[in-house]
Amino acid sequence: MSEKYIIQIKNLTKIFGDGVEIKALDDVGLNIEQGEFMAIMGPSGSGKSTLLNQIGILDTPTSGTILLDGVDVTKMSDKQRSVTRNKQLGFIFQYHHLLPDFNALENVMMPLLINGVKRSEARKTASKMLEEVGLGDRMKHRPNQLSGGQNQRVAIARALVNKPSIVIGDEPTGNLDSKASDNIYELLRRLNREHNQTFILVTHDKRMAAKTDRTIQLVDGKICEDSRNGNDD
Amino acid sequence: MYELFIALRHLTSRRRQTIFSVLAVGLAVMLLMWSQAVMVGFTDEMYSKTVDTMMPHVTVEPQEGEDYIHLYRNLIEDINKIDGVIGISPLLVGAATFEYKGKNKNVVMRGIRVEDHDSVMFINDNIIEGSFRDLEVSPNSVVVGDALAEKLDVEIGDTIDASFPEANPTNLKVVGIYNSRTPMDETLAFTSLSTVQDFLDVSNVVTTILVRGDDRERAQEISEEIDTLGYPASGWKETNPEIIQTLKIEGTSNAITLGLIIIIASFGIVSTLFMSVMEKTKEIGMLMAMGVSRRSIMRIFVMESSILGLLGGLLGVTLGAALALYMGSYDYGFEVMAGISSIPFVVRIQDAVIIVLFTFLINLIAGIYPASRASKLKPVEAIGRD
Ligand SMILES: Nc1ncnc2c1ncn2[C@@H]1O[C@H](COP(=O)(O)OP(=O)(O)OP(=O)(O)O)[C@@H](O)[C@H]1O
Ligand SMILES: [Mg+2]
Repeated sequence: MSEKYIIQIKNLTKIFGDGVEIKALDDVGLNIEQGEFMAIMGPSGSGKSTLLNQIGILDTPTSGTILLDGVDVTKMSDKQRSVTRNKQLGFIFQYHHLLPDFNALENVMMPLLINGVKRSEARKTASKMLEEVGLGDRMKHRPNQLSGGQNQRVAIARALVNKPSIVIGDEPTGNLDSKASDNIYELLRRLNREHNQTFILVTHDKRMAAKTDRTIQLVDGKICEDSRNGNDD
Repeated sequence: MYELFIALRHLTSRRRQTIFSVLAVGLAVMLLMWSQAVMVGFTDEMYSKTVDTMMPHVTVEPQEGEDYIHLYRNLIEDINKIDGVIGISPLLVGAATFEYKGKNKNVVMRGIRVEDHDSVMFINDNIIEGSFRDLEVSPNSVVVGDALAEKLDVEIGDTIDASFPEANPTNLKVVGIYNSRTPMDETLAFTSLSTVQDFLDVSNVVTTILVRGDDRERAQEISEEIDTLGYPASGWKETNPEIIQTLKIEGTSNAITLGLIIIIASFGIVSTLFMSVMEKTKEIGMLMAMGVSRRSIMRIFVMESSILGLLGGLLGVTLGAALALYMGSYDYGFEVMAGISSIPFVVRIQDAVIIVLFTFLINLIAGIYPASRASKLKPVEAIGRD
């Protein structure tokens, strides 16, 4: 049973507290299968980003466990966490967070270089990835020479270049107009189908959420709704 | 080595700060290199003016409890076999009172073999009238310093009465006058070895043997070998500890001052690095999200400061050496120091290497603090809220 799930979350609680304690996640349990394309929705402050950061091991929980591919991330060393982030996880944020001093190609190469891939090989893989997101002609441009949508596509290429089994996106289209946002959605969907990667996307966009396989509603740090959308092919 | 790739890109991207940091460190290093060249140059000049001309490299003395070295001819043969020895001079030294026309003066008589003594002490360079060679030609002759000649009011050809308690009084004809520009000129008189032997009523003995090597730095080595022959010998550093002491103190305080300047210049690098860590907080968070470990984040920023230090060091050493060489080759047309009209800069490769390494290390250490700040950022907080 457990092998079926790439992500298993049990009794996950996250309390932020400087004086006043805020329970951002309250005893959350959640299982996610390999290849799922899911959306997390909920009002502002409901804990969506907090949950995503926990799955991405960017933060540590107050209590509870998270198993990625059966391994408890809360027990990992710093080194293991970095390796897991590099090989198993891909991050897309609302703002692209590209490295400003590097061009598009170098940005996409970076996760490969961090993984120890040779420069020449990294360049090949990264340019293929950039072509896949439709930016084959913008490889030498730096982030400040690209539009918001283009940068976001570079960020997607970067998140996916190491073929991570899990891709998490915190409002990946939050900064884009609906046309650009549809394009990004189509792109992610296509990549999900082609490589069977797991996508977990936080979104405020009902239209977009409706096109995913599964939608989770968070309210006050609790999952109050978990529905299949019937978009499976 | 993606860490180096990132570090180098950071440096080339903020080009202005990079150039400024390298220049600041470079100027400090230039000063250090330049002044080191002056120090070494003047030290060298001083050594060649004193140790190489006025001092024996090694002094050999009688065995303990003895007044004289008895079998000195055998000893000289043995010393001659030691590697690097280029001059050996046996001396017989005795006190005497010189008297000329009612004026008298206590002096030290040094009996020498002229050729041998010249090979160790270059006495012939100091002669201003007459010659040392005449000591060997006419018995009972003497060469006196110009100050002594003035005191006694003697000239070449005059005859001085020499006497001392328990010595055989004798007459000495002045055959030469020397000037060594030292206080010796008033008290030291040279005669032949046999003249002093007759005066002291001894034969086949000397009191001291002076030795010169091909390099003053080998003096210690040579003196140790002579020690093994059974006679106490000491190098010039032991006989003149004050020279070394003075130079050492001066050199050290100089190096400390300039080392501090480099450290201060490196503080500039620390502060630009701190600024860059603040600026790049989000970027650091994103690097962590991509799988860069804390250790590697640390490495990136330490590399940045080390590279700045290395560049500053290389630039400074090059500028300092170039400036020293230029100033050293310049003829000032007047005497900068007694007898020389150019500044004796000496640029040594080992100084350059040590200075570059020092600068590199200082900056590496300076980079650790901002780098560790960067590495301790929490990924979520660094990336921040969108
Ligand atoms: N670092 C923090 N320190 C203190 N409180 C925090 C911190 N991060 C989040 N919170 C709190 O935790 C709760 C959940 O925040 P979270 O960012 O997960 O919300 P969200 O669902 O992503 O909201 P939004 O849709 O506005 O992005 C909020 O009440 C927030 O104020
Ligand atoms: Mg959020």
